[in-house]
Amino acid sequence: MIVAAGVLAAISCVQYFTARNGIRIEAELRAKTELRKAELEIELHTVEMETAAKTLARLVEKHIDIPDSIYAATRLAVGTLRTKTSLAVAFVPDYFPKHGRYFEACSSRITEDSIYTRQIGSAEHDYTQMEWFQNGFKHDSCWWSEPYLDDSGSQTFVVSCSYPVRDSKGEVVAVVCVDLSLDDLKNISDYLQVYPNSYYTIRSSTGLEIVPMPDTVAGQKYNIFQEEIDATGWHIEIIIPDEVLFRDLNHIGRLVGVLMIIGLLILALIIAYSVRTTQKMLDFAEKNQRIAGELEVAKTIQMAMLPKVFPPFLDRPDVNVYGLVEPAKEVGGDLYDFYVRHDKLFFCVGDVSGKGVPAALVMAMTRSLFRSITAHEENVGAVMRKMNNALMDQNAQNMFLTLFLGVIDCKTGQFDYCNAGHNAPAMLRTQNTKVELLPVLPNLPLGIEPDYDYQGQHAHADRGDLLFLYTDGLTEAENGRHEQFGEERMLKELTECRERGLAPREIVQTMQQHVEQFVNGAQQSDDLTMLAVRYQVPALVMRNDIQQIPTLAEWMEEIGLPEELNMPLNLALEEAVSNVMLYAYPGQSGQVLVEAVKSEKVVFTISDSGIPFDPTQKAEADTTLSAEEREIGGLGIHLVRQIMDEVRYERYENKNVLTLIKKI
Amino acid sequence: MKTEIVASGNQLIAKFSGRLDTAAAVQTIEDVKPLLEASNKEIILDCSALEYISSSGLRIFLSIRKEASAHGSKVIVRHINNDIRQVFMMTGFVSLFVIE
Repeated sequence: MIVAAGVLAAISCVQYFTARNGIRIEAELRAKTELRKAELEIELHTVEMETAAKTLARLVEKHIDIPDSIYAATRLAVGTLRTKTSLAVAFVPDYFPKHGRYFEACSSRITEDSIYTRQIGSAEHDYTQMEWFQNGFKHDSCWWSEPYLDDSGSQTFVVSCSYPVRDSKGEVVAVVCVDLSLDDLKNISDYLQVYPNSYYTIRSSTGLEIVPMPDTVAGQKYNIFQEEIDATGWHIEIIIPDEVLFRDLNHIGRLVGVLMIIGLLILALIIAYSVRTTQKMLDFAEKNQRIAGELEVAKTIQMAMLPKVFPPFLDRPDVNVYGLVEPAKEVGGDLYDFYVRHDKLFFCVGDVSGKGVPAALVMAMTRSLFRSITAHEENVGAVMRKMNNALMDQNAQNMFLTLFLGVIDCKTGQFDYCNAGHNAPAMLRTQNTKVELLPVLPNLPLGIEPDYDYQGQHAHADRGDLLFLYTDGLTEAENGRHEQFGEERMLKELTECRERGLAPREIVQTMQQHVEQFVNGAQQSDDLTMLAVRYQVPALVMRNDIQQIPTLAEWMEEIGLPEELNMPLNLALEEAVSNVMLYAYPGQSGQVLVEAVKSEKVVFTISDSGIPFDPTQKAEADTTLSAEEREIGGLGIHLVRQIMDEVRYERYENKNVLTLIKKI
Repeated sequence: MKTEIVASGNQLIAKFSGRLDTAAAVQTIEDVKPLLEASNKEIILDCSALEYISSSGLRIFLSIRKEASAHGSKVIVRHINNDIRQVFMMTGFVSLFVIE
């Protein structure tokens, strides 16, 4: 701002002084021209008078014998002059004895038409004492006097031009004098008045002021342009005060200055406004960044609330749970939770109305309530009622949520649940190839009606049954054409998952992939949550010790397999498990977990946390060779393939997961 | 799992009883060493009491079979149950052994 002002001021100054200089040069040129004109004008007069003087002198010389003719000569000479001037011829004393000691013939133009001629020499008017006479007498050429007051004639300031008259012998006998009234030079002021308020002075060669310097000039700064008149030796000066010369420029300068100050003020205002706006924007951006950072932390905290270590719990091998929350924003209002207490699996899935931070806070509160209330209450209806009332007490924002709450007794398969306005979960039952929604009562969502009487429901879960819970972020996921994923599609995909014998994690991940494919890049509009809960035959947890192999046969009895499949499945499982034991943990101990789900097929899942090891890539034995040619190894995986209908391997989160499936 | 070996004339009769799984194979391989060293004998593997066999057991059988060929012995597998026969079928062992 200051720099801009400085630059502007500097530009203005340069412009001002350039203009000033230009004006001065222009004034000088003009003054010089006018001075030249004035000089010419003066010279015109002086030359005219000199000529008149010289002409008169010649005439007098020719007719010197006849004094009376001298009068006529003066009259003639005056007639040649344009100005109202006087012209005289003064003779040395006693030149014409008859006419007295002093003889000076003088003619003056009185008006345009009348010329007055007389003899003016007398003892009182002793011209011989006068400067013009004496100098005229002495000089051969025209001599110009200093200005003086003409007391005899016009009573004005005059200058005189004297010229000698000689007789036939060459002796100076008279002096011709022509007066020039300074009044006659007045018209040169037309030239010298260059500006309305400029001045001029004319000084004689001795410094006498013919046109004096006006008093008003004193104390002012001014410019002087001068010229010397050759004939008379006069100095003419044109005096132009700065104020006069630069008046217009100063006016413009002042105007420009005022405009510049106004401009700078406007500029300053604009800059101040811009700075404030920019600062606001910067503050806003900083605030936004801080909020984004805090939301990121909030997301981490929120995600940490949800159980991340998924069963099968090593201490609870009869449940397998996998959950996933994908918030549409940094934080969301969806939740799932689960834990086991007294052989009972408590779990829930909820969806808080709204999104973002307010929803996330209610979600966190709900999760705490779920844990604290289920810690001493097992009746699902009572849990819901208590959660509802607690939420009503603390619900200033009128936020509500839908929640599905389930409790599975792992010993008996008794399944209690209560649904508060949430989407009905899907049941993947071992005894039913059709995936169906769990029948739910139409209870109100939580946080709407105080003391609402939530009704619980009961069902039975067989080992291997799987409950798929979700929020509407799944069924209402939209693609670019605003089509919804929908319940039907979900059930169809779940049916396929069941047929493929997928475990809870696989089901959730498969469904996630299907949703992603379906929305095909469209922006996620709602939080997406899925939770798969499987009640199962307690998984077998083994150390990587070959001596543990016999426990497999005992464990398999719990599954209740058909008699004729007992041996082959035991064999296949043993081959697979012993392979893992031998190769997945080289030189160290580790665990191998075996799960089984029996429906119209049996699905074994063998998981370990060892090094990546894919037994399906192992070379199989060639069973067509002779005993001598046969290698000792490779029989195990061959048997697994022979016995099972499907063998698949997956490496997932540092785990080897081998799935064996056999139709029953 | 139990392994009993009885020598009877030119015959060596090994009687397996129980489940010859991966765990049991560790001991069984020690138990059948006399069979691997025998030459010009008729080795009878009596499976009448063998309930179950896994690939580890099959490998022992294959080792016995290979050593026998090398030492001029002959191996006969006797009284295998249906489950084990099924395993023999799946692994092509039916064509490696004389099964009675």
